[in-house]
Amino acid sequence: MAAGTEFAPVEAPLARPRTLLVGTAFATGAAIMFFGALFSLYFSVRNDTLAWGAEWFPEGAIELKPGGSLMSTFAMAGVTMAWAHYASIHEYRIHGYLALGLTALLGIAAINQTVFYFNDIGLPIDHNVATTLLYVIVGAHMVMTGIAVLWMGLVLLRAFGGQATGRHQDLVISVSIFWYVVVAVYSVIWLFIYVAK
Amino acid sequence: MTDTPLETDGATALERVVTSTDANTLGRYWLGAGSLTLLASLVAGVLVALERLDLGGAQVFGSADEVFQFWSAHRVGFVLLAIVPILVGLGTAVAPLQVGSDSIAFPRMAAFSFWTWLIGAGTTVTGFLIDGGLGAPDAGGQRQAVALTLVGLLMVIGGLLGATISLLTTIVCGRVAGLTLGRIPLFSWTLLVAGTFWLLTLPVLAANAVLAYVDLRGRTAVRFGAEDAIWEQLSWAFSHPQVYAFALPLVGIAFDIVPVSVRSRLASHNVVLVLTTMLGVVGFGAYAQSFFDTPGTPVMNEAIYVVDAFAAALVALALFGGLADTLRRGAANLGPGAGNRPPAPMVLSVLAMLLLLAAAIVGALRAVDPFDLLATSATGAQMTLTMGAAFVGAMAGTLWWGDRIVGRSTSQGLGLLAGLVAVVGVLLVGVADLLSGFMGQNDFTGASVVAAGSPDSGVDSLNLVALTGSVLLLVGALGWFANGIRRLTGAAAPSDPWGGHTLEWAADPSSVEVTSERPLLDALEGSGAAS
Repeated sequence: MAAGTEFAPVEAPLARPRTLLVGTAFATGAAIMFFGALFSLYFSVRNDTLAWGAEWFPEGAIELKPGGSLMSTFAMAGVTMAWAHYASIHEYRIHGYLALGLTALLGIAAINQTVFYFNDIGLPIDHNVATTLLYVIVGAHMVMTGIAVLWMGLVLLRAFGGQATGRHQDLVISVSIFWYVVVAVYSVIWLFIYVAK
Repeated sequence: MTDTPLETDGATALERVVTSTDANTLGRYWLGAGSLTLLASLVAGVLVALERLDLGGAQVFGSADEVFQFWSAHRVGFVLLAIVPILVGLGTAVAPLQVGSDSIAFPRMAAFSFWTWLIGAGTTVTGFLIDGGLGAPDAGGQRQAVALTLVGLLMVIGGLLGATISLLTTIVCGRVAGLTLGRIPLFSWTLLVAGTFWLLTLPVLAANAVLAYVDLRGRTAVRFGAEDAIWEQLSWAFSHPQVYAFALPLVGIAFDIVPVSVRSRLASHNVVLVLTTMLGVVGFGAYAQSFFDTPGTPVMNEAIYVVDAFAAALVALALFGGLADTLRRGAANLGPGAGNRPPAPMVLSVLAMLLLLAAAIVGALRAVDPFDLLATSATGAQMTLTMGAAFVGAMAGTLWWGDRIVGRSTSQGLGLLAGLVAVVGVLLVGVADLLSGFMGQNDFTGASVVAAGSPDSGVDSLNLVALTGSVLLLVGALGWFANGIRRLTGAAAPSDPWGGHTLEWAADPSSVEVTSERPLLDALEGSGAAS
């Protein structure tokens, strides 16, 4: 090619991580540490209590059924969120909205189940250290679920408002990252508090 | 960055203040509010030091509970209401410039975080003032006020977390082309490392506070909310090793200032990156709480705690060695012969690093079991030295970047004087409390000779020295605050008064080719070689 006819090299676009995803990763990491601290305290205090031969939860107070039912709800919500995530990446918009709506609905159902269980359990919060920890951990998880549901509502509103852009895709992926952690935290609650007691 | 600031045209002054999302403005808000709470926390510190002068009975305060509330208020205030916010403010104003970003990430969240922190700080201070605080040894506080303090503390933590997420995302995502993470200026790097550890530890503190709050409210506390147990759960955040994570950005400030001042490069930028990361790792203090004691062995007597303390001392020594090496190699460029006096920020940042090294050595001594210093005033000495070092570092940082942030100059001489007074104050408190610790004085002395744990050891003179140090620290902080106010009406500042090496000093960062960690120095040397 003769001199003077060469094209100037095209500058590659700056490959930086996407702002919303990075911010969500930091915030989700902080949320994981919050629950990590509560679980660590739970296991530490439980070990000490049992080592002294004292009672942890009163016999028969924690039933497996409500916790298991909630676990099923969260498992389904994990699957529907994966559906929304997949649909968002492949730009199947109708699938995406449907999956996100279903996930939000299951999240609301989970909050409803938790509130019902709190009313039904019949254990006062100040019965002993175990019940205080139970209410704090499950209550904090309910708040986390509520935040995720509100976030999903925001994403859906933006989508119905016609703002389904690349940034919208980031929003769906961000809320899905957070939601997976919501499900993972509940899995720990179910396994180590409801099942292992 | 795709986020844009809110439109403020036609807004009233109050609306502009409340709705501003500009990084520079938010940084100044953090600095201003942090400096006011710093003064308040230092006044609390002086009052407690005054009380310790006469351990025969409460003279300044009405009871041991009141002494405890002010004593704990000083620590919480010094760390979470003063030094960390001041560092966040400096970071919010400077870090976007250092990475070449035109704004901070999530500007609305950054603004919301500041206001949440501010309201939380006000609530916390109110809680302490109305006989609440974080519990009391004799359970003599008002339970509702204790709950209010905990709510305030949670808001403070929430605000700091939000601001940190904003800051870290800016550093990760807002960098200009060529500015890899390994090349970002060291202040931004230490903010990235420290901020990551804040995100890992502040939620743990929040979890402790939530447990205490829920247990406290409306019924007899089972354990976590018992008034004599709250401080025990939360105190890990205000002592070794967590304070290193809070103070870490001071290392970045020193390593940004010194090479420019002596017109020299660091021997190895990468080694400093590694060492500062290691200081962040050893500063992870969330494990050092009493809940994780194994029966018969408190966590502070376990090997990890002792190794952590000595590792911190070694890392601090290595970092200071790196700084000293840079000073040595650039010594020819300083002094009367070179016509280049050491600038005030450089002097202060070197002293801040020395204080950090002293703090790490005190931390290591404290972990040695035969000395039996864990529950003594050596704990306070280590905290004061570390956070005092961070304060002196922040003083250096505001003198260094102040012209760039505010656009106006201030007196470097007054800044240096205030800094030197603060350094002497921190040293007096640190040394006196360490020696008192060796003589058996408890960390919290209570309001009686017996509670102080040192009825016959004769620590009165040392307590007088500590009081003098507390007063000097307060005077230094007042001088720094006055110098900051003076800057607001000072003469217009030059755009780059120091001949800076990094992007915050560039008129147009996007036009600078970044091929190393000192792009402006590269450009200068390149043009020098070409001519």
